[in-house]
Amino acid sequence: MCFSKMKKLLSLAVLFSASSAICSAEEVTIYGVKSLSGSFASYGKYADMGSRLAVENYGDLLGQPVKYSVIDTEGNAGKAVRKVQEAIRQQGALFFDGATLSSTALAIGKEVDKAGGVFMTPAGADELTGSECNNATFRWSVPTYGAIHETVEPLIKAHPDWKRWYTITPQYVFGEALLNNAKAVFKAEGIEHAGNSYHSLQEQEFSGYLTNAMAAKPDVLLLLNFGGQSSNALRQAVNFGLKHQMKILVAWSSGLDQLQELGPQVAEGVYFGAQYWHTVDTPMNKELVSNVQAAYNMNPNYPMAADYIGTRIILDAIAKAGTTDGKLVAQAMENSRYQGPTGEETVRAADHQVLKNYYLLKGKAASDMQDKDDYVDIISSGQSFPDESSLDCHRG
Amino acid sequence: MNTTSKTSIYKGITPAALIAVIVMPMVLPSTTLATEILIFALAALGCNLLLGYTGLLSFGQGIFFGGGAYAASLSMIHLNFGLLSALLCAMIVGALLAALVGALAIRRTGIYFVMLTLAFSQMAYFLAYTLSDWTGGDNGLLDVPRPALEIFGIQLADLTSSQAFYGFVAALFMLIFIFARRVIHSPFGSTLVAIRENEGRASAIGFSTSHFKLLAFVISGAITGIAGALYAMLLNFAPLSNIELMMSENILIMTIIGGTGSLLGSLLGAGTIVMLGDILSSIWPRWMIILGIALIAVVLFMPAGLWGGIESLMKRFRESKTSEPDPKLQQEAKS
Repeated sequence: MCFSKMKKLLSLAVLFSASSAICSAEEVTIYGVKSLSGSFASYGKYADMGSRLAVENYGDLLGQPVKYSVIDTEGNAGKAVRKVQEAIRQQGALFFDGATLSSTALAIGKEVDKAGGVFMTPAGADELTGSECNNATFRWSVPTYGAIHETVEPLIKAHPDWKRWYTITPQYVFGEALLNNAKAVFKAEGIEHAGNSYHSLQEQEFSGYLTNAMAAKPDVLLLLNFGGQSSNALRQAVNFGLKHQMKILVAWSSGLDQLQELGPQVAEGVYFGAQYWHTVDTPMNKELVSNVQAAYNMNPNYPMAADYIGTRIILDAIAKAGTTDGKLVAQAMENSRYQGPTGEETVRAADHQVLKNYYLLKGKAASDMQDKDDYVDIISSGQSFPDESSLDCHRG
Repeated sequence: MNTTSKTSIYKGITPAALIAVIVMPMVLPSTTLATEILIFALAALGCNLLLGYTGLLSFGQGIFFGGGAYAASLSMIHLNFGLLSALLCAMIVGALLAALVGALAIRRTGIYFVMLTLAFSQMAYFLAYTLSDWTGGDNGLLDVPRPALEIFGIQLADLTSSQAFYGFVAALFMLIFIFARRVIHSPFGSTLVAIRENEGRASAIGFSTSHFKLLAFVISGAITGIAGALYAMLLNFAPLSNIELMMSENILIMTIIGGTGSLLGSLLGAGTIVMLGDILSSIWPRWMIILGIALIAVVLFMPAGLWGGIESLMKRFRESKTSEPDPKLQQEAKS
């Protein structure tokens, strides 16, 4: 009787020690900061699908399955910051990926930095890896410098006779950055800047700006707005017949989802700059396309690819560091070189900018499309980033 | 003026507000959520003074909220202002902006008044957007500090932790709540209600209604400015959305849902909208549909807002209790 009691106690002790050994393995949770509701819900939905898939496909990390928790920013920077603060304080969150809006990404980066975590974002503001850079924030998307250099320069080189360019620019920080880079390229290449029209961030009606562009008789119309505004400006330009009078370049498109919205009638013959395109011939992109096809029965678009790779970079860095210590994981990410969707990608240690390709695409005619998503031909691709010596980033 | 238990500023709804403020951080999922509710309750309270007690539907509340946020943030970043001086700065800027908007808007009434506040709201947004060197433009103003509570150089509390900051916001909320009740129950407050009910008659009996309305604007702007400053300190960040028209709309919705003409309704309205957004957004991405249905239901079935609904329920309950026949009397009648 006494022996059997002792046996039971012994087995309980063994069970307890085994369970504590399991609990001592570090559990990894990736927090996806996505705009699932509000003004940017269509973007956030795909971004969430990308991060979720990256976590599901990763398998075990540090001896345990990876967890994924989504934070809905509601398209509001204030709400996003408050929810991230809560996740940090209540759940000890350290690893974040996402944020569509630049303001949201900038503010979240500050919070994560204070907590000693890691934040990977595809947001557009150059300040993320510039004047507001910090130890926690990393950015996957190419900055405005690269977007202009990889779209305007190849077109100028391929068509030296396109000498007069007209720009339409949203008047705020991001638009100004694109415009300044474009002006620098024009100057370097001896191009005449035939004029510029500024519009507000809330503008949806572009006929006045397009009329000004027509009057200037440029060879190329360069649209420096993005998202719904660039789609509306482009549609109206096509309706005005500008496509037959000049070439049109949308320097910062959102890729597949924007082309699906525009359709081949509008996109045909128009040039687009893009961070990602699903037909890029790289091993990792083939894997991504196949995973996305299997999971969601669709081709990956930019938000999905950006948040998939952003999440994967963090997970790989945790595996490399062998710990969930945020600072060590951030260090593991610095200078890492890996196969990304755009080919070989590198995380530059100086400013935490991922060095990757940017693409120049040209819209196809509907009759030339091989499948429902075959909207464009890839004209060129390449990497253009400011030199380390000229960076505004000074991390402590 | 007789002071009944209902109208005394320390009785009636004041203890109810105090209990709510104490209980909120214990029952809500996080202290930061409770802090956000109190901050928006302050903004709704400021709006209530205009809409509920003076009858002025202003879309300018976002100007005072955003103005207060920028004033406090800039004074702390560039002039090294402490907590209380930054809040004072936000209050003054909120009051001045309200005086400016109010002085021009109250020259018209009805729909024209509303249109003027809308126009001011748009102007303020584009001004903040254009002055990006100061406001950070679309990126927002980053690195807003949250200084310790100090008086004459003596540190009373470090507000770094979310609990400590909640305590400070709660204390400030109660002070402003009591101040607002004092205003409402003063002859000035009675005059505001008279203006709301019949401006022509109030004017005919000798009140300078425009001065009263302007002062209501200034008080509302000052309170809303403080709310904006506290929001920037909570987030360590002042986003451009603070000064957007959407912010004015949100503050108005909170006020209407909670119940116009009731200060406790402001707390109830802010709590409902902030919590609904927080809870529903984690359940369903299209949660705004549910919020829309909830808003329609409240407006249709509780025109006096949630607090009005609660009051009428309490009244019915009391009436049903008093109309119940006394069993002793029934026994006597039978015998």
